[in-house]
Amino acid sequence: MGVHLLHRAALSIPVLFGVLLLGFMLLQLVPGDVAQVIAGPQATPEVIEQIRKDLGLDRSRVIQFFIYISRVAQGDLGYSMINNTPVIQELGEAIGPTFELMLGSLIFSVPIGIALGTIAAVNRGRALDRIIIAIAVFGVSMPVFFIGLMLIMYVGYHWELLPFLGRAGPLWTLDGLAHAALPSLTLGLIFIGPVARMTRTAALEVMNADYVRTARAKGLAEHTVIIRHVLRNALIPVVTLIGLQAGYLLGGAVVTETIFSWPGVGRLAVGAILARDLPLAQGSILILAVSFIVINLFVDVLYGFLDPRVGKR
Amino acid sequence: MTAVTANEPVVAPRRYGNLRRLFRDKLAITAAVLLVLLILAALLAPWLAPNDPYLTNTRLRMLPPVWETRGRWEFLMGTDGLGRCMLSRLLYGLRATLMMGVVATAIGGSIGLLLGLFAAFYRRLDGLIMHLSDILLSFPAILLGLSFAAVVGPGMTAVVISLAVATIPTVVRVTRASALVVMGQDFIEAGRSIGLDDRTLLVRYLALNCISSVFVYMTLRFGQVILLGSALSFLGLGAQPPVAELGTMASAGRNELFLAPHIAVMPSLVIVLLVLCANLLGDALRDMLDPRLRHT
Repeated sequence: MGVHLLHRAALSIPVLFGVLLLGFMLLQLVPGDVAQVIAGPQATPEVIEQIRKDLGLDRSRVIQFFIYISRVAQGDLGYSMINNTPVIQELGEAIGPTFELMLGSLIFSVPIGIALGTIAAVNRGRALDRIIIAIAVFGVSMPVFFIGLMLIMYVGYHWELLPFLGRAGPLWTLDGLAHAALPSLTLGLIFIGPVARMTRTAALEVMNADYVRTARAKGLAEHTVIIRHVLRNALIPVVTLIGLQAGYLLGGAVVTETIFSWPGVGRLAVGAILARDLPLAQGSILILAVSFIVINLFVDVLYGFLDPRVGKR
Repeated sequence: MTAVTANEPVVAPRRYGNLRRLFRDKLAITAAVLLVLLILAALLAPWLAPNDPYLTNTRLRMLPPVWETRGRWEFLMGTDGLGRCMLSRLLYGLRATLMMGVVATAIGGSIGLLLGLFAAFYRRLDGLIMHLSDILLSFPAILLGLSFAAVVGPGMTAVVISLAVATIPTVVRVTRASALVVMGQDFIEAGRSIGLDDRTLLVRYLALNCISSVFVYMTLRFGQVILLGSALSFLGLGAQPPVAELGTMASAGRNELFLAPHIAVMPSLVIVLLVLCANLLGDALRDMLDPRLRHT
């Protein structure tokens, strides 16, 4: 297990390096002389020179890159070019809402997806199976913005059931929960299809296993066989696959946040790129990439717990 | 495969009941026909479009489609927020979106195919190529899109590059997996022993035997590429207004969502149709030609 995890962690180092290089490159694209900007228009050449030295701008690009890495490691991601606030502060305020949105969507989409996938597998080849497959194919063919816009138009505007603009507070307040409902529903709906598909495939594979036949042979009730024997084993690959789909969820989250003006990292990143606020873009891409790496490592650990055979090979 | 009788097809594995197969095939054929029609509509857009897709008219803003009371026959699908003909814009938008998807899938697919073949053929390169593609694979496509848009600035180029790059590692994996199976066959050894050079072996013996799996996978991938690309465009990172592109059009329709929902809904529905057809066709092709892909 330890070795397996170490291998996975080692794999994320080049990714991290690549992201840092990207972030560094983005900061190089900032127009104008950074030292001049910091010093202000009335600064003497000596002061500007001093600032250049302090920032390490007089050194080679390679040294500057390492200076950049050490600054990032200390949580210094520079300042937003538009608001002049520290990037790390903007990100700190945005990461919570993104996390809320992901949680809110997973909490219903994963159980529903697993249930649908299992029902389809049990009824393989029958009408119910075909209906569920059709729903899943439809689900993976829907652009997330379309689902979001439809929910806004009907649930939010015409039926006036739920608010659809921004975030009103933490999830445990009634208003906060109401505001989180539609964005979470949007993001969750695109995730049901993939989860149902993966569960169906995994369950079908397990249903052919010898121990399932044994379980049936010793006279266990069908629902016991399905839940205790099939589902428990089918869930192992599903967990990994959900981890692999984290990128898909992240993409959905970026779009969802933008549609619902949800103050998360995705919306921050898109806004920064469109406004050419490169330090903020750099920071938000960095934090998204790091969270993605962390989620994948977490899934690997979880996988090891669920299936002790992993890593012993 | 036991006792294949003469009147049964040998190619398609008989894993479903006949009824189910028929149902699936019908669906796949419908999807294929629709896809061809969509591609034709995109190709013929300049001839099919009833109006200039870029001609604005402030007095004809937000006209509903013709089947609604205020609709007009010159604008079958109504007009958008600037009074431009929706039908013409949908045709041109479909053209731009399809072009984006095809170019990105073709570039990413051919680089992936080449790398995958090399990984299987030259075992020395295998480790390096697979490591690189693993690294690329752990970089989600949306992040690639955001990054390229940040570096080169929002636009079609950024979207196509990021979609192509995101496609490479997935195609590498599929190609390598199927090429390794081919490499184990006797005819590769036979080709070697009659003194064929690497190029001939690689192209004639290996590539031609893997191409069907890779093609099936690319059909499946195409739907995802379209979805991602239109999402990036929707965010404003892709095609820039006034260019007609389906994602950009849906995004522009947000401003008039409550007054004239058709402006956002119609381009979205075209995307759904396009992706649905690609997915259905890809699924059916996979089941018919290459059931092994089911697990990738």
